[in-house]
Amino acid sequence: MAVPHRRSSRYFLMAFAAMVLGIFLAASSAWADGSSGVPNAVPPKGEHEGKNVEQPIEFPHNIHVDINKINCMYCHTYARRSKVAGIPPTSKCMGCHLVIATDKPRIKKLTEYWEKKEPPRWKKVHDVPDFVHFTHEKHLKRFVFDNEGMSVDRVSEVCAFCHGEVKKMTVAHKVKPLNMGFCARCHEANKGPFDCWKCHK
Amino acid sequence: MSGNDINRRDFLKILGWSGVGVAVAGCDRPTTVTLEEGKEEVVAYLQPEEYVIPGVGVWFASTCQQCPAGCGVHGRVREGRVLKMEGNPDSPINKGKLCQMGQAGVQGHYNPDRLKKPMLRKGGVLDEVSWDEALAALEQKVGPASGLAGDRFAWFTGTVSGHQSVLLSAHLAAMDSKNHFIHETINNAVVRAVNQDMLGEAMPRYDLPAAKMVLSFGADLVGAGASPVHFSGEYAKFRTGSLRGVLVQVEPKMTLTGGSADLWVAIRPGTEGVLALGIANQVLLGDEVKIAGLPDNIRTLIAGYDVEKVAGITGVTGDRIMRIAKLLKDRSPSLVLAGASVEGHAHGYQSAAAIMVLNIVLGNIGKTILPSGSSPFPQMEAKAGGTRDLLALADAADKKALDVVFFHGSNPVYTAPAALGLADKLKNIPFKVVFAVHPDETAMSADLVLPILSAHEDWGTHMGVYQPEQKSISIQQPLMERLYPDTRGFGDLLLALLKARQVKEYESFADYYGYLKNAFAALPASVKGDAVSDEDFWGKSLQKGVLNIGTVAGALNPKMVEISFPEFKSDAQQYYLAPSARLGLWDGRHANLPWLQEAPDQISKVVWTSWVEMHPATAAKLGVKEGDFVKVTSAQGAVEAQVYVYKGIHPQVIAVPMGQGHEEYGRYAKGRGVNPLKILAPVTDAKTGELALYGTRVTVAQSGRREVLVKLMGSETQLGRKMVGTVTASVFDRTEGTKNVT
Amino acid sequence: MSLDNILTNWSRYRKGAEEGGFHEYEHQWGMVVDLNKCIGCNACSVACYAENNLPVVGEKRCGKNQAMNWLRIERYWDEPDLAPYEAIPTANVDAWIEGNPPAKKTELKPSMPSSYLPGLLEQDGQSFEQRVGFDGTKSEFQDFGASFLPMMCQQCHAATCEPVCPVAATYHTPDGLNAQVYNRCIGSRYCSNNCPYRLRYFNFWSYYEDAWPEPLHMQLNPDLSVRDKGVMEKCTFCIQRIRVAKDKAKMEDRKVIDGEFSTACVQTCPTGALVFGDMQNPESQVSKLWSYHQVERGKTKQNKENKELRGYRILEGLNTDPSVLYLERVREV
Repeated sequence: MAVPHRRSSRYFLMAFAAMVLGIFLAASSAWADGSSGVPNAVPPKGEHEGKNVEQPIEFPHNIHVDINKINCMYCHTYARRSKVAGIPPTSKCMGCHLVIATDKPRIKKLTEYWEKKEPPRWKKVHDVPDFVHFTHEKHLKRFVFDNEGMSVDRVSEVCAFCHGEVKKMTVAHKVKPLNMGFCARCHEANKGPFDCWKCHK
Repeated sequence: MSGNDINRRDFLKILGWSGVGVAVAGCDRPTTVTLEEGKEEVVAYLQPEEYVIPGVGVWFASTCQQCPAGCGVHGRVREGRVLKMEGNPDSPINKGKLCQMGQAGVQGHYNPDRLKKPMLRKGGVLDEVSWDEALAALEQKVGPASGLAGDRFAWFTGTVSGHQSVLLSAHLAAMDSKNHFIHETINNAVVRAVNQDMLGEAMPRYDLPAAKMVLSFGADLVGAGASPVHFSGEYAKFRTGSLRGVLVQVEPKMTLTGGSADLWVAIRPGTEGVLALGIANQVLLGDEVKIAGLPDNIRTLIAGYDVEKVAGITGVTGDRIMRIAKLLKDRSPSLVLAGASVEGHAHGYQSAAAIMVLNIVLGNIGKTILPSGSSPFPQMEAKAGGTRDLLALADAADKKALDVVFFHGSNPVYTAPAALGLADKLKNIPFKVVFAVHPDETAMSADLVLPILSAHEDWGTHMGVYQPEQKSISIQQPLMERLYPDTRGFGDLLLALLKARQVKEYESFADYYGYLKNAFAALPASVKGDAVSDEDFWGKSLQKGVLNIGTVAGALNPKMVEISFPEFKSDAQQYYLAPSARLGLWDGRHANLPWLQEAPDQISKVVWTSWVEMHPATAAKLGVKEGDFVKVTSAQGAVEAQVYVYKGIHPQVIAVPMGQGHEEYGRYAKGRGVNPLKILAPVTDAKTGELALYGTRVTVAQSGRREVLVKLMGSETQLGRKMVGTVTASVFDRTEGTKNVT
Repeated sequence: MSLDNILTNWSRYRKGAEEGGFHEYEHQWGMVVDLNKCIGCNACSVACYAENNLPVVGEKRCGKNQAMNWLRIERYWDEPDLAPYEAIPTANVDAWIEGNPPAKKTELKPSMPSSYLPGLLEQDGQSFEQRVGFDGTKSEFQDFGASFLPMMCQQCHAATCEPVCPVAATYHTPDGLNAQVYNRCIGSRYCSNNCPYRLRYFNFWSYYEDAWPEPLHMQLNPDLSVRDKGVMEKCTFCIQRIRVAKDKAKMEDRKVIDGEFSTACVQTCPTGALVFGDMQNPESQVSKLWSYHQVERGKTKQNKENKELRGYRILEGLNTDPSVLYLERVREV
């Protein structure tokens, strides 16, 4: 089977190393600091009345994040190494749910998908137009890993800038407008780049 | 990863963010953009490989299959789709670079007109059938029970190499047949024959950078030649450094290589050999030692071609001949090459041999023409084709000597001159099976069409037709999951055919992948390098994409052959037809790739159509201008296309480029332009039996119609501005010659 | 905001240029095209199609000059050679052939002794040369081959396209690139009218509708947009690749390394005629080439110590200050 070319594997290793280092630094500084709030991060203004979207499985974010304290990046694992955060692969869900809560109707539904070898077709909630190139990777680096006083455990607070308090939701819905003004306000407050070609190309 | 059939293609099976209009921005069409929540779907991977990260491209090594050069490529894969081809820096052939045809490989893979289902001819009509039905038909006609064996069965392919070639030979042996026709329209078969006879090796190595001058008789090194990307790189080295090499190109119609020449010389078609002897005559002038060293017959021959006589025959002025000779004397070692325009005549072999004589006289053998040696695995080396086998097929079909023919990687129905009557003769073959990716003319006239995987979906190993110093096997691996479920790998089919005949030998291989893996494990330790296990070696080979196999040293033994030329007569009313080859559409196989249709011809800048090239004097004589339609008529037929006037062509030559004029082959190719191959006269090279592509005489007449010739370019000249600055080589030598600037 | 930026940048550039060069960029992507190596093969152009989602527009639209080839290769014939052909008056071909050569006489090419004139095509007592109006000292052929010139956006620092955009959709980036923001563009086409190189391409049609019939659209590069009708576009020096490389470097807390990435055209060029890199990095190959050839930015006329060096910028005299350095082709004989 195909083996990735070394360019990619090297990249992977470096990204991984950077990530581990980042987590370590962030965690240690959080330990030392222990203060509350998110320094240097001003949530951009603007609200959006989100629609409730019917998903193939009514995924309860609250149970996973709020009750079980699972880190956002445990499932949305691509966020720290790619521009897209990614929907967790079905195998990741099954990693726990082969044994946990297997009798619940939603898990039964998930198991059905798994056995059919077919991932659920989720409906997209947070979207930006095609000419907008937003990258999760860089934002996480800036606001989590490079941010002194920000523990990686509290990444959900950073995610919440744009995604709202997902940990209080069941199925995620959009609460922020995610338009250019929304982005620009945050870039202004945090001295983000204002080069058009950063996001549009 | 494990070797079973499902797992090994997993990395794409996972599907990922596939389909139209999902998460991946940019691949989406603007009309389907919606920001409303819950409108678009996003599909996660079921079980991703660890290296798959959505939004991040990964490169996989493979081999380009667009021409027989066998360049190594890296395919950029994102979200399970292959997006772009790039050269593989580890390949000694293309060293990380790629030509336009290689770039356009992805368009062959994603071509909207690909064959998606097997087709079987029923009651004269090709009908889509299931694989079961198709294979049952195959079994009935060629299976062991059919009783088919011996030379009534044949394979008709393009250039083949690597394990594909090994399996093909094995299948022919299993069928007890010796009929393997190998057909390439763009070939150097005559030159190879001359090399074999005069040097003892068909494809010696040309050391371009070592040459201080290249005199090329129509050899399109950097264009439609044996290995365009390799020789482009070599050309760059030849043109830089302390003593920049001079390129003199002699040909009836300017090729891409001719476009970069220091001196471009038009020559009367077919007289290149005479010019070579004339130059040899000048080179030897006064060099009694060298003259004495020549065999008698060659000495007499060369002595017979003095400048005045040669100028009269070739149309190249005497001072040019003398100057070229002087340059060759001053700039030793040099390299003299023969190309398609030399080969394409009834006396093509004689001309190419005369050109090799010039090389011998100049002492280039062993300096710039080197032995390529032999490969430790000769069965893997490329079996390069020519047009002789096309004639042989027509002949065998005419004699009703064939029952079943398998076609792969070649489109003879399109490339065969009409005079051969191939389409009619093929009707004498009761069962024609075509393994094809695209619906070309041959596929559409077959009895059974088996849709195979594209080059980006299949496994394989290849060796380029031209091997540089470092001989290598290039590995082809799938860059993505198959697009259409009803297509199958050619290697898999070949293996299945073999299993049907020789169960015992091949039953242990589940599929072609398994066969290749096994073959790699069986390679000697010398090529395995530092690999710790077979699995490790396999993984490393796939990752690198190229396997250097070393060379068994060889030697060249120059030998003279008998050379004689026919009497050259001039006929002002008749023109020579030059069916010129283009780096791009090649022999027509890339006419279905829209990028290459819209990529202008490098010299004329014409897009999307055919054209007729002529000299301004010819145009004036005919009373035509650019854009006028003219009818080019040979004894075998006529084609009509628009005129393109320029000075890079001999006044007696009319050039119509190859590649267009398809009757099938999908939406981008069908019904576009004309195919000059169709009107070729059935003249062959007397010695090798190769079709004389440049040997057809035509008349030209204005047809009265006129349209604007569509070209992608601005002005023909620089209009007095400094767009392309030019300096003389002396300046270059002074300022950069000794320094390695880049 | 952007309008402010552009005005500020412009005046800063002007001031900087007067003071002997504008060097405030974060990076400064530049290119070198060695015409001595260029063979005009077109690989770069097709690579650009593959990388940048360029639509194939078809024969008819090509005929209307609507092709979207961001990188094109111009092919020029040497001027003196073309004159006799261009000067043929259609109505007077006969007279012309009968020995009234065109009035426009140009410089003559290498001489050849008349005793060697082939006389091959002799007709009606006249040699070929006499009939077509060549007097035996002028070559009737394209002696020096063709001249090939790869033309991509020159990424001018004093870009003529930028100040005329009414909506500031084209502006200068901190990377020293001449940017085009598609979602901002209203299609006034002022910029393309003002470009002396004719390197801006306008979407006259909704190419996305038919340029990528399924499944060809699966090849589209997700790293950049597919442009819609009414939008101007141009070579971006593969901004998406620059972004990936810069992001990667930033994630790894280092600088972009020279040669770490290059644009699609540079990567594929079979002869290595194209070189790309950061001119702010003195160690990069482009920087070395620019300084070796003694071409400086911010000038309309180079004052070279060694006048024989090959480097030049196209139409530099218009004060566009391009980022692409061309090296003259070399010819002999």
